[in-house]
Amino acid sequence: MKTRTWIIILSSAVIVCAVLWMFILNSSSPSKIVGIYQDGSLVEKIDLNSVTDEREITLNGKFGKNIIFISHGHIEMKSAECPDKICVKHGALEIGGTPIVCLPNKVVIQFEETPYGADAKTGAAE
Amino acid sequence: MNFMRKFSILFMTVAVLFCSACDFDSKADSEFFAMDTIMSITAYGSNSQSAVSAAENEINRLDKLLSVQNENSEIFKLNRDKSINASADTVTLLKRAMNFYTLTDGAFDITTEPLTRAWGFYSGLEKRVPSQNEIDNALKTVGAEHINIDNKNITLDENTSLDLGGIAKGYASAKTAQIFKENGVSSALISLGGNVRVVGSKPDGSDWSVAITDPDDNSKQVGTLAVRDTAVVTSGSYQRYFEENGHIYHHIIDTETGYPAQSGLKSVTVVSEDDTLADALSTGLFVMGLEKSSKLYSKNSALFGAVFVTDKNEIYITDNLENRFSSQHKFEVIER
Repeated sequence: MKTRTWIIILSSAVIVCAVLWMFILNSSSPSKIVGIYQDGSLVEKIDLNSVTDEREITLNGKFGKNIIFISHGHIEMKSAECPDKICVKHGALEIGGTPIVCLPNKVVIQFEETPYGADAKTGAAE
Repeated sequence: MNFMRKFSILFMTVAVLFCSACDFDSKADSEFFAMDTIMSITAYGSNSQSAVSAAENEINRLDKLLSVQNENSEIFKLNRDKSINASADTVTLLKRAMNFYTLTDGAFDITTEPLTRAWGFYSGLEKRVPSQNEIDNALKTVGAEHINIDNKNITLDENTSLDLGGIAKGYASAKTAQIFKENGVSSALISLGGNVRVVGSKPDGSDWSVAITDPDDNSKQVGTLAVRDTAVVTSGSYQRYFEENGHIYHHIIDTETGYPAQSGLKSVTVVSEDDTLADALSTGLFVMGLEKSSKLYSKNSALFGAVFVTDKNEIYITDNLENRFSSQHKFEVIER
């Protein structure tokens, strides 16, 4: 077989790999996908950008109810029956910000990716 | 024949490329509540699932041992009875805490429990400014000289109580990193309530990037550190506080005054291969302030590096972090 044929085969293999690689990298770029967790288990995963209608999710924990409010691009803890209400005071979940955490009821609302461009953030949690 | 050989080389190359991509996805993670905060652990590689499970068990075990609020913990019993026959972990940790007390000239202190209680920084208590009388009484019980360790027998002076909140997470993170190494995990990311520990490098071989939270705005960062095999721990006045009559009172109590430390700093981040030291020193240096911390650094630059954010939002880093720290902000370098 001619060398030229081999060059064509090899370079097309390289291109295919590069395209696949780009695809893999792209699929992990920052998004607005949030996960709602209770006691370490996923309750629901939501892409905030695809939310069209406002809605609420109610979770029951040891210290009563947590009501989560969701609208397009937005998620917040609307109310909580736990004693300190740190999760309500946190306000909306922001890109690059800290997760919304209700320690008494073990609820965490966070982005599924780390959108601040680092692998971890120190001092962020309580 | 020639064609077959070349084809198999090409096939192998593509297969290897794909497999290296597959290995990326072989990851295990867990998020759970322990030590009054959220723990998040991610490990990569073939043995990651069993390593993560073992780490989770170990952290829960240590929590039960060291918690100040769990009635079955050794520390709770020690605080109640003033004397216990302690496990090896508790003895090791208390001895280390005593060393850090000496190293920081008393700035890092595990006898703050009565003060922290007076200020209401435990869950279930109301945060408030205690009376001067309460503070004066609590101050009498504070200091490592009130702890006696005789082999496994630990005794406390009357009214002295311990709180390992400033060191237990560091110890747990050291144990977690150790479990990962024993299980052959060469790439992992651990965050124990904001105490970050990285194991090895990232799965692609590059440094881990750890951001330091901006004390004024949680959604921003003062800079990032490129690190491997190290702990990165931040103590900041922004992490837990309350407001009363227009004053802000945070949770890092200075045992010299009995009040929240007013050392001119908003946060201190300590970088060290020794997780326990990083945890203890982040609190200790916060209480000491920039000037005393710089002096401590010049004698111990092999042990740790640090990033300071002052009340005036100036950033200072120790010179051993110069090649690791990057920031959009201006920063000064502390020479050893």
